[in-house]
Amino acid sequence: MPENPKHYWMSAANSSPTGRSHQVMNPANASSPSSNTESVIDEVNGDPEFITTRRSFLKAAGFTFAAAVAAGCSRPPELRSIPYLQQPEGGLVAGRPVLYGSTCDACEARCGLLVTTRDGRPVKIEGNPDHPLSGGSTCAVGQASILGLYDGERLQYPTRRGQRSTWSDVDKEIATTLDRIRQQGGAVRLLTPTITSPTTAALITAFLGSFKNARHVSYDPISTSAVLDAHALTHGARLLPRYRFDRADVIVSFDADFLGTWISPVEYTRGYTSRRRIDERSPSKSYHVQIESRLSLTGSNADQRLRVSPGEMGHIVTHLAMGLSRAAGFQIDNADLAPSPLEPALDAIAKRLWAARGRALVISSSQDVRVQVLCNFINREIGAYGATLDLEKPSYQRQGSDSELAELRAELARGDVQALIVAGANPVYDLPDAATLAKDLQRMPLLVSTAERIDETASLAHFVCPDHHYLESWSDAEPVSGVVSLTQPAILPLHDTRSILESLSAWTTGTPRPALDVVRDHWENEIYPRAKVSGSSDPFERFWSRTLEHGVAEIAPRESKTRPFDLKVVQQVLRPEELAPNAFSLVLYSKIGMFDGRHGHNAWLHELPDPVTKVTWDNYACFSPAAAGRLGIADGDVVRVAADGAPPLELPAFIQPGQHDATVAIALGYGRAGTDRFAKVGPPWFEARPPVGLVGANASPFVTTMDNRRRYSGLAVTVVKTGRRHPLASTQIHHSLEGMEGQEPRPIVQEMTLAELAAASGLPQQSRESNAEGDLWPSDHPSNGHRWGMSIDLNTCTGCSACVIACQSENNVPVVGQDEVRRKREMHWIRIDRYYSGSDEEPEVAHQPMMCQHCENAPCETVCPVLATVHSDEGLNEQIYNRCVGTRYCANNCPYKVRRFNWFDYPHEDRLQNLVFNPNVTVRSRGVMEKCTMCVQRIEETRIETRRLGQPIADGAIKTACQQVCPADAIVFGDLNDPKSRVAALAESNRAYRVLEDLNTKPAVRYLKLVRHGGKGRG
Amino acid sequence: MHRRIITVGLATALALSLVTLTIAWRSPGNNQGYAPVQPIDFSHKLHSGEMQIPCVYCHLGAETSRYAGIPSLSTCMNCHRSVTSSFAAQKQSNPAESPELRKLYDSLAFDKALKPVAGKLPKPIAWKKVHQLPDFVYFDHRAHITAAVTCKTCHGPVETMDRMRQFETLSMGWCVSCHRDANQTGVAGKPVHASTDCVTCHY
Repeated sequence: MPENPKHYWMSAANSSPTGRSHQVMNPANASSPSSNTESVIDEVNGDPEFITTRRSFLKAAGFTFAAAVAAGCSRPPELRSIPYLQQPEGGLVAGRPVLYGSTCDACEARCGLLVTTRDGRPVKIEGNPDHPLSGGSTCAVGQASILGLYDGERLQYPTRRGQRSTWSDVDKEIATTLDRIRQQGGAVRLLTPTITSPTTAALITAFLGSFKNARHVSYDPISTSAVLDAHALTHGARLLPRYRFDRADVIVSFDADFLGTWISPVEYTRGYTSRRRIDERSPSKSYHVQIESRLSLTGSNADQRLRVSPGEMGHIVTHLAMGLSRAAGFQIDNADLAPSPLEPALDAIAKRLWAARGRALVISSSQDVRVQVLCNFINREIGAYGATLDLEKPSYQRQGSDSELAELRAELARGDVQALIVAGANPVYDLPDAATLAKDLQRMPLLVSTAERIDETASLAHFVCPDHHYLESWSDAEPVSGVVSLTQPAILPLHDTRSILESLSAWTTGTPRPALDVVRDHWENEIYPRAKVSGSSDPFERFWSRTLEHGVAEIAPRESKTRPFDLKVVQQVLRPEELAPNAFSLVLYSKIGMFDGRHGHNAWLHELPDPVTKVTWDNYACFSPAAAGRLGIADGDVVRVAADGAPPLELPAFIQPGQHDATVAIALGYGRAGTDRFAKVGPPWFEARPPVGLVGANASPFVTTMDNRRRYSGLAVTVVKTGRRHPLASTQIHHSLEGMEGQEPRPIVQEMTLAELAAASGLPQQSRESNAEGDLWPSDHPSNGHRWGMSIDLNTCTGCSACVIACQSENNVPVVGQDEVRRKREMHWIRIDRYYSGSDEEPEVAHQPMMCQHCENAPCETVCPVLATVHSDEGLNEQIYNRCVGTRYCANNCPYKVRRFNWFDYPHEDRLQNLVFNPNVTVRSRGVMEKCTMCVQRIEETRIETRRLGQPIADGAIKTACQQVCPADAIVFGDLNDPKSRVAALAESNRAYRVLEDLNTKPAVRYLKLVRHGGKGRG
Repeated sequence: MHRRIITVGLATALALSLVTLTIAWRSPGNNQGYAPVQPIDFSHKLHSGEMQIPCVYCHLGAETSRYAGIPSLSTCMNCHRSVTSSFAAQKQSNPAESPELRKLYDSLAFDKALKPVAGKLPKPIAWKKVHQLPDFVYFDHRAHITAAVTCKTCHGPVETMDRMRQFETLSMGWCVSCHRDANQTGVAGKPVHASTDCVTCHY
């Protein structure tokens, strides 16, 4: 424990006790969590329906006894065993998992997957370790996408004008209308998000080719159009470069949340953390500067963070470009450039970038093409092209064009389009000025949607032709030039849905072709020749079956034509945009889990705490503590955010340290139609509650358009307090390990600087074993076989929360609903504690995954009266559900606050939804405690299987769900008794420590200290 | 007098109910002896006893999977494509088709000549599950076969059972005592590690 430990805090309400108080800390208008808790307790204790009299207790007890006696004499219900008719080929045996290589469809990043199926149904998604981009990792959204397969509210059949129809009827009518349009030469438009599938793209071209006036318009709900447009200006090709974070030692990001939601977060996190991992013999890590308005997940990991308002961004990029030109020795006329207070900091950053030429990268999520061109200019100066930016093998993960979209909207407004097919997009939800768009769409002669449910756009469509869930369909993807992967079905379609490939072929040729044939043909004719170019000598059959087995293949890239950098297009942004004194500058961002709202019907993602704010089930308006003080608002106060040209939005406020004072940040992706269904989520006892309406509110009306590009920041808004309150379901101070205010800080998160680490290496390790004197626990449980343990690297963990959902999927963790989260009853076995340190304005952030520590001297075990939690001889702390009687003593005695109690039988009556359960893990019932088991089902499975094969358990053969999914490779599980194992080596690291070591609980989980750059300022 | 009658009556009632309870009592979930009537009168005594067919010929998952599995109907047809009459009728010169086997053929939608009937869909047989463990117990056949535990150890003398019956209690005490003994004495002369940790079966 350091002598002068840092003070860490978790929320604005429990920040520094040293008097840096602001208005929200005033108990008179105390922030929501404490007052909220009291009202909740009153609600439960005070409700007369919950009061138990002695008589009713005796009645219940008598009935229970009688029921137990009756149960003793009865038989369980008769179950049936239904065998196969035909023994399946390929060694399929009931009870053995079968893995299918596939491609994730949850976003356009297209990570590689291995879909685990049990007895014919997908139960878990794992990353495909062979995939060159995602390398075995996935994100929270990818993990959660399996829940969408079993969503009972997906559309189960095609509809015609809102009524159930059949495919043949729908096809006939669409074909007739299209024929008429074809003959009349009418305009046909196909609106999609970015199409990464080469087969779908080819089929779209074939389909539209039969019309005289047809066009494919693609747009991204969260647009990155400016990046592509800027490359069209500077390099002559509208391309998205592949960002190689794995080659970047200095990264400067202007507002791009590349570890969270920007373009391809898994790929980027993998690359980024590969340069942040500490080699203790020569400690170093990359240097990451984040220049942003709100505190993003990426910003929370930065070594240096500059808070700027959105209007200043272009001006600051110009200054950086000028600073770099100076470093490079250019003389550029910048007489009109207004000075910036950040110039010294920017000069220092420019020097760093210049020093790291060829190993540096500058990115921006700005939708201002001038800013993007300046970034390209900087990247050219620092030699990023060809090194950290790849234009030879560009990315196809974003192709949408805002100018084409604007053109389409103009056509629609004029009524020039006869037929519009919307495939996989939801423009009425995610575009601004949706009311006008909806009116235009209603006038269309033919509007077809392929949405999976009746969403905002599909509700206007004449025909809804629902597409399969991706786990039911054949498709393919080329996310980066030369990386092709297949999507294969892991289950037969659950409903009467149809792949978009079959629909398009039906509308082109009149008969639907099976999607497999379409994909295979395209691969034989288009993909396979490229594989031959790259040196493959296999016949097509082998190439196809091998790719199907591996899920992915690397082939020759598509030809990309770029021209040398055109300096003429570089334009300085001379001065920051002015903001009226009382106005706020709006920042619309996308949140991990929700992205653009396409997963708005996924309960796992709604209940996933945001990695930074820790709020679930809502979007909200974020303010800096100073701004909140000025407005006199606290967490949960509803504010009205208004701007010219858009209806005002009422949202609860949230106070976010580290945010720029003149900005308000609101997440997109909320307020999806139909999300009022989640009012029913959670235990049945509050079904009588009044309906709560949609989850969050849709902020896309605030998206502005400039030069035909959709912009997400910079809109001037006014904010007024409404006086109403809407308590947020925030988990940030639930299960807090922090002591009471005023107590000495506890050694939970620990960090050191690179210099300290360098000094410590070579020195003998300080003894970690605590003093045996005064040890309450006798050392009578030697562990001679395996001793399972875990190591978590706080330095590489970015807080992305993929582990939380992976654990939920693997371990059948229930969803409890917003109201229960407010009562601190969320059930996640692994949570990510986010700690701030430093000032409110410029906090440093640490993310700490926290789950059962599997203590050798476990305090929970000593207090369990029924031995439902005991220690295994392999070092695991076991929780035995069938023995647990629910005293909750263990949870009270747990210093790490990782035990979760089933207050209710969380509803499982949706039999379709229940198919998502992992059959290897018990579904817990009411009244039992549960917690992380270190995926003991995987340990047992591997143990039994290796014994069967007569092999020892190799290091790395068992991966816990959280470890498997982690894109940062921060979690390592293994046998501490095996000196050659990775986890044993990491336990000996100079950075290793155990949380609350002074309690002598001896956890089996070791954390590796966060390493900061140290030195002046942040980082 | 009145009171005595009541007392005697109550005492008799109590004694009777205690006796009934003692006879009928079983621990909740104990299904020892359960032998439901199956949709086809399949005899393990005939197949396993007299024909000496190894258990894993049909229950092929026992070696490689958690579940031993119920054989697919195509496995039955490996033999019953040629053997179509009952065992007793085999000695006759022109044996009649067994009515029990007819149920098998019907579920496969086969006609007299064992050819598929056009337009008729096969429908699998819904056997009644005999051995049921609670949902919170994870038993793995594979582990036990690997350790050379014989099928008989848990399933009893199957080769003598015309109708399959649950031979053991399958209670936790029964499992644990065998695990304890196995650690002491080994299985089939070889030492084994039969863990008695809770998470061996409960997770």
